[in-house]
Amino acid sequence: MSVADLSFNQVTKRFGKVVALDKFDLDVAPGEFVTFLGPSGSGKTTALNILAGFAAATEGDVRIGDRSVVNLPPEKRNVGMVFQSYSLFPHLTVFENVAFPLRLRGTRGAALTARVIAALEMVHLGDYAARMPSELSGGQRQRVAFARAVIFDPPVLLMDEPLSALDLKLREQMQLEIKRFHAQIGCTIIFVTHDQGEALTLSDRVAVMRDGQIAQVGSPQEIYDRPNSQYVAEFIGRTNLFRLNAGQGGTWTIDGLGVTMPPVRGANATNTLLSVRPEKIRPVDSDEAGQVSFDARLTQVIFQGDHVQYEAVSSGGSPLYFQDYRGPGTHLMKRGEQIRLGFDPGDAVPVARDVA
Amino acid sequence: MKFRQILWLFLPATLLLVAFIAAPSFDLFRASVFDPDFTTEHFERLINRSVYLDVMWRTIRVSLTVAVLCTLIGYPVAFFINLQPRRRQTLLLFLILIPMWMSILIRTYAWIVILGRDGLVNQMLAMLGLATEPMQMLYTSGAVLAAMVQILLPIQILTCYAAMTEIDFDLIRAARVLGARPRQALARVFLPLSLDGTLTGLVIVFMLSMGFFITPALLGGRQDTMIANLIEFQVQRLNWSFAAALGVVLLVLTVGMIVALRGAGKLLARRVLKGGL
Amino acid sequence: MTYYRMALGAATVLALAIPAKAQDKTLTIAGSGGVVKEITEKVFLPAYEEATGWKTNFVAAESNIMLEVRTMLASGKMLYDAMEVSASNYPIGVKDGLLAKIDYDLLDPNGELPEKAKKEFGVVAAAYSTVLVQRLDKNPEGRKIESWADFWDVETFPGPRSLNRQPQYTLEFALLADGVATDDLYDVLGTEEGLDRAFAKLDEIKDHIPVWWTSGAQSVQLLSDGEVFYSSTYNGRVTKLQESGIPAEIVWNGGALHTSYVGIPKTAPNYEAAHDWIRIRTMRPDLEIEYVKQLPYPNFAPGLFDQMSEDMARNMPTYPENAEVQFVANDEFWAANIDHIRERFDEWLLE
Ligand SMILES: Nc1ncnc2c1ncn2[C@@H]1O[C@H](COP(=O)(O)OP(=O)(O)O)[C@@H](O)[C@H]1O
Ligand SMILES: [Mg+2]
Repeated sequence: MSVADLSFNQVTKRFGKVVALDKFDLDVAPGEFVTFLGPSGSGKTTALNILAGFAAATEGDVRIGDRSVVNLPPEKRNVGMVFQSYSLFPHLTVFENVAFPLRLRGTRGAALTARVIAALEMVHLGDYAARMPSELSGGQRQRVAFARAVIFDPPVLLMDEPLSALDLKLREQMQLEIKRFHAQIGCTIIFVTHDQGEALTLSDRVAVMRDGQIAQVGSPQEIYDRPNSQYVAEFIGRTNLFRLNAGQGGTWTIDGLGVTMPPVRGANATNTLLSVRPEKIRPVDSDEAGQVSFDARLTQVIFQGDHVQYEAVSSGGSPLYFQDYRGPGTHLMKRGEQIRLGFDPGDAVPVARDVA
Repeated sequence: MKFRQILWLFLPATLLLVAFIAAPSFDLFRASVFDPDFTTEHFERLINRSVYLDVMWRTIRVSLTVAVLCTLIGYPVAFFINLQPRRRQTLLLFLILIPMWMSILIRTYAWIVILGRDGLVNQMLAMLGLATEPMQMLYTSGAVLAAMVQILLPIQILTCYAAMTEIDFDLIRAARVLGARPRQALARVFLPLSLDGTLTGLVIVFMLSMGFFITPALLGGRQDTMIANLIEFQVQRLNWSFAAALGVVLLVLTVGMIVALRGAGKLLARRVLKGGL
Repeated sequence: MTYYRMALGAATVLALAIPAKAQDKTLTIAGSGGVVKEITEKVFLPAYEEATGWKTNFVAAESNIMLEVRTMLASGKMLYDAMEVSASNYPIGVKDGLLAKIDYDLLDPNGELPEKAKKEFGVVAAAYSTVLVQRLDKNPEGRKIESWADFWDVETFPGPRSLNRQPQYTLEFALLADGVATDDLYDVLGTEEGLDRAFAKLDEIKDHIPVWWTSGAQSVQLLSDGEVFYSSTYNGRVTKLQESGIPAEIVWNGGALHTSYVGIPKTAPNYEAAHDWIRIRTMRPDLEIEYVKQLPYPNFAPGLFDQMSEDMARNMPTYPENAEVQFVANDEFWAANIDHIRERFDEWLLE
């Protein structure tokens, strides 16, 4: 089992006028599972390609372990990679696909067979060695691609939107498997996705990307609970954004809700938006101490079984939404109902407004 | 739709095939054994005289050589084109297509100008002082081969190119990142994946070569006669039945060789695909 | 039997096309189209009409003229009074009895025509030769090819050569090279040993012939390009070759003289008038000279060469000095033997 740290140092990649990566900086610890999350065109693939050696950085340095790899061809970098479309060799059997990296490394005979079979068994495809890739389902192909990428025990594994071609159920199942493989193998994994749920599920850390830069990097919880910008707050999950106005004595008033709030962490002259996650807002009977509460009217009730999504308009005219997880004794409210809502100021995160 | 109804949809295509392929082939075969009464004399003549067997063997040999040469030249050229930026690929393909607008006859005549005793090549050799006597290049097997390869090369280039563009570039990247040096990626992934298309091109070139007659007639000597030349002669001599018998032989040899080539291709593919190379 | 039907169709159309005016005396002549037709209409037809007061109707035969005649004979309605008979058609016409005998007392009461011009069923209307042509500039210093034996002598006259890819006349040339006298050619060729002898002689030259020509145009092109130094070809094409500045020269010795004829089909409606036409066509040097100026295929019109310059006359296949050293190509022989000889020849070429 091998593992390595890696780092991007001020990596810039230009395609003519297009800046795909802009002074990209990231340090990844050995064995860490880091996800690049971002919309299409934000530079995720470019970062991965530069790491794999398919593209050269225009500027900056990339290190894997203790050496710079910028001058190494892909085959010398010793990284595993799983492609979006799996990229299994269509002319080779499952066995040969998985054996491919080993053959290139001079492994032969019984040792080769044993390792290939072991890898296939790890991905539950022990019986499929003789099949051609075209005879496999999408999920099976994905697993072969995974086995092929890790069989030579690379310290770093790269995965570029590996699950995006699978249907939801399979995707969720594969996410769990990947998590399990990671625990088992222990190598450093860089995982690319534009699916925030996937990123939250899998990662030790998520790097939210925007225009070739990292908007925020941190643990899923940090990213979700303490987004550092409107962009991140909106990209990860859903959120309510209210305008903040500075009041007297460090207090803040919230536009549209017509309430005043005690000083909150992080609120300042630039962070003039307040992000409140829908699950943090709930109906309150009476004003509780330390709570921010306000009147609202329900405009939409969406029943989802284990939870209900409510849309509402505050008495000040701000649209907002919240979720109710139907704990014991809760009842379903009706559209048009007048209610009082509240949230804990500690659950609210001031963020900077995006300069559009 | 019921299966029977669907069958009717095949009718037009079937009729077309019958009208343009099956019927003439049958007519050809009939003409070869009725002259005007049933006879096998024409086939006997073909089999009993070594000269005709020589011509058949030569036709196959020349066609195979042309097909292999076209492949050896065409594959790298297609590969090179495939490496170019999109825009330049279009330009290069266009350039390769240009000669195909010219008739085979004209392209063959061009070779006469090039290879003649007073032709370009001999003039150049003389100018460089490399030859005192003009070399006899025209009316040789070499001339026929060169011209046939030149005429058929675009077909093989285009077929190879088409096969190559089908290859997902991520497969090459996958091979590289999994540890393959460029050459290894080429040999283990690119080559096997373009093999089928290349073999198809080889078979097409072979097939077309089998029926060549203008080029061997104009550039070759009597020792370069191919089956199609014999057919043309016999038609001129009004020996319809013998010509038909030759036609049948050409048809059978061509089809037989295509089947054989396909088989050989499959074997080769299996070896290459097993990671043999 | 497609040809038969085609000819029948053509004949029917013809029959309908010709207006049946009995009072108009019209002579119908069948011949080939193209330049020959043009010149015939310009030179010979007006002369005939003026001399006889008859009208003429020149029909350019669409398909095989012998098939047409055969069809007309069978149907009992012969539409042609006179016809051109090519060298290869003559033996067919004779063998199949399609031609009427020429009445030489009627045609040439004074015996002006030379014997060479007179055949039983036709009079020589035009002649050309298959001759050996050499590129003088390719000859060794001070040497010149003078016979087929020289053509075969690759030691003295090295260099590429060409011959017709047909056994006709090529075999005769081989025999001449092997020392057979012109008069004995067809006797020798008619025997199996003679044939073997011809092929044996061809074996000697086989390796020195990079290309066997298949058309007259190709033969002069080969000479013109210098691809071959020596070749057989048709005499009519040599003048053009010389005019283009190529130092080519005909070797008349051993040339094959081909003659085509005017004849009269059996049951021709105007047998006697046809003789007048033949006389105009074959015995008038003043008319023939006009024809020869356009087409180098002269006949034996008495006094023809008096109308020409010495140079021009010497280029004519029928010029006495030239005619003397040639042999008359025997098309009867070839008509009878072509099939098996050609098969052997074709296979020999492939060996
Ligand atoms: N080969 C290329 N040539 C030109 N522009 C490119 C190329 N590859 C990527 N880009 C541009 O770089 C930016 C980042 O692309 P990419 O890394 O593929 O984004 P992502 O993978 O996040 O969708 C995009 O604007 C894209 O158009
Ligand atoms: Mg991407």
